[in-house]
Amino acid sequence: MNAIEVNHVSKSYGTVKALDDVSFTVGKGEVFGLIGPDGAGKTSMYRILCTLLKPQQGTATVDGFDTVRQMNDIRRRVGYMPGKFSLYQDLTVQENLEFFATLFGTTVEQGYDSIRAIYSQIERFKDRKAGALSGGMKQKLALCCALVYQPSVLFLDEPTTGVDPVSRKEFWDMLEALKERDITIMASTPYLDEVRRCERVAFLNQGQIKGIGTPDEILNRFADIFNPPGLDHLQSIKVEDENVIEVEHLVKAFGSFHAVDDISFTVKRGEIFGFLGANGAGKTTAMHMLTGLNQPTSGTGRVAGYDIRTQHEQVKKHIGYMSQRFSLYEDLTVAENIRLFGGIYGMNDGDIARKTEEMLDRLQFTNHKNDLVGSLPLGWKQKLAFSVSIFHEPDIVFLDEPTGGVDPATRRQFWELIYDAAGRGITVFVTTHYMDEAEYCDRISIMVDGKISAMGTPDELKERFNQPDMDHVFTYLARQATRSSD
Amino acid sequence: MKQFISFIIKEARHILRDKRTMLILFGMPIVLMLIFGFAITTDVRNVRTIVVTSSQDHLTRQAIDRLAASEYFTITAAVATPQDAERLIRGQKADLAIVFSPDFASKHGGIQFIVDGADPNMAQQWTNYANAVIANADMSLVNSKMLYNPQMKSAYNFVPAIMGMLLMLVCAMMTSISIVREKEKGTMEVLLVSPVKPLMIIVAKAVPYLVLAFAILTTILLMGRYVLNVPLQGSIVWIYIVSTIYILLALSLGLLISNVATSQLMALLLSAMVLLIPIVMLSGMLFPVESMPRVLQWLSAIVPPRYYIEAMRKLMIMGVGIGEVLREVAILTGMTVVLLAVSLLKFKTRLE
Repeated sequence: MNAIEVNHVSKSYGTVKALDDVSFTVGKGEVFGLIGPDGAGKTSMYRILCTLLKPQQGTATVDGFDTVRQMNDIRRRVGYMPGKFSLYQDLTVQENLEFFATLFGTTVEQGYDSIRAIYSQIERFKDRKAGALSGGMKQKLALCCALVYQPSVLFLDEPTTGVDPVSRKEFWDMLEALKERDITIMASTPYLDEVRRCERVAFLNQGQIKGIGTPDEILNRFADIFNPPGLDHLQSIKVEDENVIEVEHLVKAFGSFHAVDDISFTVKRGEIFGFLGANGAGKTTAMHMLTGLNQPTSGTGRVAGYDIRTQHEQVKKHIGYMSQRFSLYEDLTVAENIRLFGGIYGMNDGDIARKTEEMLDRLQFTNHKNDLVGSLPLGWKQKLAFSVSIFHEPDIVFLDEPTGGVDPATRRQFWELIYDAAGRGITVFVTTHYMDEAEYCDRISIMVDGKISAMGTPDELKERFNQPDMDHVFTYLARQATRSSD
Repeated sequence: MKQFISFIIKEARHILRDKRTMLILFGMPIVLMLIFGFAITTDVRNVRTIVVTSSQDHLTRQAIDRLAASEYFTITAAVATPQDAERLIRGQKADLAIVFSPDFASKHGGIQFIVDGADPNMAQQWTNYANAVIANADMSLVNSKMLYNPQMKSAYNFVPAIMGMLLMLVCAMMTSISIVREKEKGTMEVLLVSPVKPLMIIVAKAVPYLVLAFAILTTILLMGRYVLNVPLQGSIVWIYIVSTIYILLALSLGLLISNVATSQLMALLLSAMVLLIPIVMLSGMLFPVESMPRVLQWLSAIVPPRYYIEAMRKLMIMGVGIGEVLREVAILTGMTVVLLAVSLLKFKTRLE
């Protein structure tokens, strides 16, 4: 018997077809990947299988039970991790676990064997509030909560978005271990290395299944989407010999905890500088100091020629910033957002109007000028947010995980924009968890435990640590971390 | 059962760990009681009064003495002409002027009041009081006796009203917010995809707020009794029983709101604006229902606190038995049953 059977399922919201005649089966104990770009209909599929939504047409069964008629039977035997961390932030690790265990009529003691491997890694934080854990830890806890009652089918909707490569690898090792216990797993992910760890994957696009097969089959057949030809790194860009960021012995301490522990580096004008590190290594804190949001405890830094300690107002005028949370107003139109941010940076109306046309032209957005930003697909929003962050021609733009949760083709387009900006002399300072993106940078630093443990061009680093690609370099360095990743 | 208890424990932890909200929940009743009990008062007291008199005959003297002796009026000046008095009132030096005609004593002429009518309700009361005081001087036979509230303290009126308002706000607002928060955070999805019955989720959510509501009710009653000296004439047991019905009603309203609201902000606005305004305006808390235009009277018939406040006034202040408030209790019970049924039916066991 198949663990999951989906027959001709359709679901639409108003005029938008989220799922259009979708059919597939998943065998018992299989690790099945459901992949596709943002807005392809993955979440709707999960919700239908978890009995949270009713399909408008077609039927679906989980473990032989119909999702519409036998809702309660299914709810008794599935584990579900929605995209957001479904934990109670104000309860401790232990309390979360106990609550979810009792919810399913079991206890932590009874289910302990099934979660021991995972829980042992977070057990020492069991009295800490879930909200205070790092992304990787939260994800492990959420998995524990979903596993403690030993479900027979596990649904994981993009469980690793925003989690660093090392934690992601550990997470998938755990999933593989579950296979031995015959748990069926259906997961979706934007990361190709994770796609490769599934036994079979289905590629969902615009609500339709475009193909089902082994990961390699699918990734090759849809190579233009999943594996776009790497960007030619335009070495012709002349990196000028002028430092726009100079940091010396920068420290940020919270009590006795040194979030950023004595880092020094320089970035040259026009350079694309990749600032990598595991969750909790201190990247965001360092970035906050550079952008003037936070005062350093000690050390000096100059950004665009201004002291980050005393001249942070000047610093702010000469930089652009795009955070990992989408930073435009969803209820304003594209043009209104641009107008607003141009105004904030003190540009005059003539300039704003002229540059808006230029920018929309470049993005091929002219037809969507008066669309509400909230109605655009995620990839578009991120491209727009980036363009807005460099709208006032800053010296430097800081990008904090700009491409989280976006499919490879869109990420590639995003990087074309970054190259374009760098070509115009804007220095790009970027953090990312995608190691293929790290390869696109001119120079990279990798932070471990608040210190910079390696810095250089991607080729230099691969050579120095004798690793085949950046992914391995990162894993190699991040595994040396002693600080708990939170 | 074990699930149920652990659910309640979880819910209680959410409440207890949110210290600021707790402070507001318990601070609000206390502050409101103090404000309504002491600061805002519609009692007539120390009205700055001017007497205008040209003759100093015996009866006029006597009337003025009585005015001065009463705690309601303070004679601030005596002037000769009404024009002077009016000038003083316009200059904000006085609230009320009493003009005695020169032949006041001979009963041919009467008295005239010149009142600062900026607050018409108060102006009306001042003249009534002044009339009564002066009429008394006349040794007339008109006499009034205030039943239940001989000192005419407004606290008697406000304590039941505050109970009606706060219990409704706390229960409806807090339950709706706590359910919508789970929707927003995505935890509701996980709860729904679990073997737990949706009914249990709802009941478990309501229990801690029921307890909280009782704590608030007790706080108000204790403060009313010992700080504001409002007597508790009626049976405490019935007060609590009627309150329980009312709290259940408020909880089901909150549940209904949580079905409609998609964000915490919306839940807050819905419960604050949509509930608060009718409660304050139409429940008879501030303005008597009887003196409202007919249309508003009809509207007020569907405002639940109206019946609760009425019932509480009867039970607490008048001290009547439960038999006298059967009508209110029946209406409240009916409303509770309907609201609870609707909100349970509307509760979505799936997403949409």
